[in-house]
Amino acid sequence: MGERGDHDLHRLIDQLSPPGTRRTQEKTGRMSLIMRFFLAALLTASAIAHGAEPQLLEPEKAFQFAARLKDARSIEVGYRIAPGYYLYRDKFRFSAAPEGVKLGAPRLPRGKMTRDEFFGEMETYRGDLTIVVPFELDGAGVPALTLTAVSQGCADVGVCYVPQEQKAELKLAALTAGATRGDAPFQLFAGAAPGDDRSIAALFASGFWLVVASFFGFGLLLSFTPCVLPMVPILSGVIVGGGAHVTRTRGFLLAAAYVLGMAIAYAIAGIAAALSGAMLSAALQNPWVLGGFAAVFVALALAMFGFYELQLPVALQSRIAEASGRIKGGHAASVFVMGVLSALIVGPCMAAPLAGALLYISQSGDVALGGAALFALALGMGAPLLAVGASAGALLPKAGPWMETVKRFFGVVLLGVAIYLVSPLAPAAVQMLAWGALLVVTAIYLRAIDPLPAHARGFEKLGKGIGVIALVAGIAFLIGALSGSRDLLQPLSGLRLGAGEAAAAPFEPVNNLAELEARVQAAAGRPVMLDFYADWCVSCKEMERYTFSDAGVRARMREMLLLQADVTANNAEQVALLRRFRLFGPPGIIFFDRAGREIEGLRVIGFQSADKFAALLDEVLSLR
Amino acid sequence: MTRGRAVALFVAVAIASAAVGYALNRWWAGSSIAGREEPGAIAEAVFAARLTDLTGGVQTLAPWRGRVLVVNFWATWCAPCREEIPVFVRMQERYGGQGLQFVGIAIDHAGPVAEFAREFQINYPLLLGGLETLELVRRAGNRAGVLPHTLIIGRSGRVAASELGALKEPRLEALVEPLLRADPESNAR
Repeated sequence: MGERGDHDLHRLIDQLSPPGTRRTQEKTGRMSLIMRFFLAALLTASAIAHGAEPQLLEPEKAFQFAARLKDARSIEVGYRIAPGYYLYRDKFRFSAAPEGVKLGAPRLPRGKMTRDEFFGEMETYRGDLTIVVPFELDGAGVPALTLTAVSQGCADVGVCYVPQEQKAELKLAALTAGATRGDAPFQLFAGAAPGDDRSIAALFASGFWLVVASFFGFGLLLSFTPCVLPMVPILSGVIVGGGAHVTRTRGFLLAAAYVLGMAIAYAIAGIAAALSGAMLSAALQNPWVLGGFAAVFVALALAMFGFYELQLPVALQSRIAEASGRIKGGHAASVFVMGVLSALIVGPCMAAPLAGALLYISQSGDVALGGAALFALALGMGAPLLAVGASAGALLPKAGPWMETVKRFFGVVLLGVAIYLVSPLAPAAVQMLAWGALLVVTAIYLRAIDPLPAHARGFEKLGKGIGVIALVAGIAFLIGALSGSRDLLQPLSGLRLGAGEAAAAPFEPVNNLAELEARVQAAAGRPVMLDFYADWCVSCKEMERYTFSDAGVRARMREMLLLQADVTANNAEQVALLRRFRLFGPPGIIFFDRAGREIEGLRVIGFQSADKFAALLDEVLSLR
Repeated sequence: MTRGRAVALFVAVAIASAAVGYALNRWWAGSSIAGREEPGAIAEAVFAARLTDLTGGVQTLAPWRGRVLVVNFWATWCAPCREEIPVFVRMQERYGGQGLQFVGIAIDHAGPVAEFAREFQINYPLLLGGLETLELVRRAGNRAGVLPHTLIIGRSGRVAASELGALKEPRLEALVEPLLRADPESNAR
């Protein structure tokens, strides 16, 4: 590599794009679905054993790249950005070889505005991204072109990747064939379905395990609903098989066989849901379909709040129960079959959450996730059964009215999923209002504003605490939405900005030397502070945010005439102004004494903390 | 199949799947662990690396051998990198007398780095790195080659810590203080 390599690297940094990860887009053979599922299941075991330390993806996996000819005049470039990673909109650079190929301005979709501590408002992309790059051919006879794409991105955990350079060779001969293929952008990645080695690696960094763990948690909670928990001891008895003396180990193993049977049945349901979703995935992007799904979720939620009951037809349930009743307990194999059958009995507490879970999975269209998540759900549901088996009932909580709360919790979760589903369609303001409303209503149900009885139990206090948190968060969303914030993660950021702007230091603009002189002359015995500013100047913004906002600094600044030269445009007058003070550009703060003469030794270049700056202002003010 | 056999089969399957899963996880997650070398060797590679200073001269980190060295790989275009710089400036001021030395290696151009150094009043040396530097950070366990990445090298010339992402002051202090307290004579061999 040596100098040549470094030259390349710096060229990339130049364009803000990065080092040699040239790769070709290989198609990876698909593993059979079953293999994928088993891998996922095996990995579950291992991840639990191993503890999940955050694994950073290699850049080409974090930002998967693909390109194809869209038509005779444009190239479609796709990025599949792993969850938890993002690319900056203004860091893309495209070039093409050979000479005869001219690229037009890439059509970059709107990104998500995120506020960056240092760079201000940055537009970023997450998830799937499609960029169309128009091109022209200078004369005919070019058989193929090589597109070089440069991108730069970071991970949410707080690290950035050096600019990445990725290349794709596109055969122009394939134009006619390529152009006729469908227009769905994500077909670019048809070869990279979940389950190939790349995405299994991505699973670790993505929300995969979070989803699986959540499903386990949901499963556990489901077993605490009123129609499951009271059944557990009875079920346990059935499994063990009529009163025989059974050791704890044996009880546990039998329960495990039952739970495993149930879990496998659920996993199959999850895989089926994901497959159906994968087949329908194009349709699922349709607003009406998404809206319809959301409506179904709301309906399911209402069932959990007890407005009506959803369950499998009772006749069907009892027939399955009968079938499973004919199987004798006490044998691992027969208990396993009982477990499988039990999955088919979908009672009133289970129907809505299970339907919700399956819908969610079908939305994702991710087969490995579907299987693993539903498997985990069943394991969670089976956990109390295992506890009973192992402890002969000692570990089980007592049935009681609290189980209704668990049921309502699922109602809230289902409503949350409904909002989540429509989030690609709904404006941010609507989403924020919806989240706000959901949180506030939940809080009221948690008695956030009712007084606690004098001798409240621990759980009541906990519930109220959570309620208050939900209330505050909900109010934050409502206030944020109504005050114009459109940032779901920082609902009140609009307020902060608003406050900052309202209170911004009252600089008067100056645009050229003549104006400056007139102002300084008119300062009437006050010292003058001249601040050079530009939109791109990071330290200027830091000064504004951290230093000018300080109360002590502001008090001192009020005693001065404050002028600001915005040199963003860098036109001739502004350049002259900079030259006058021997500055090449902002940042720079110049002071004039009460007689209008520049104070030579006191200029500030670059960021200065509020303390230091206040001391400096004192010095300026003390000059007569 | 008898009961005992069925149970034995379940147990065997459970153990086997856990073992295979564990092995697979090690295998996938492992490239970074396997790729991580012995701490002394990495420190030697760091000391040997030829880097450019802001005026274009070639330099190595060898002059700071024997101090507690905090080598920070960063860039001006990397927001999380910028975040931690003020911490470094403060700590260089506070602990410099006790033998702590920060060195910044920027994957960047001299111009913006110099500008940034002025703006943030950076009080420790800044050097520029290239592709070899990225190779070096990969060897030090930063498989994805991300920034910021900070290596802490003790007086005895061994990598004591390799941290990805912006460092917070308490964390850095906790890492550095025991190294500063360690007796330089006994470590130097």
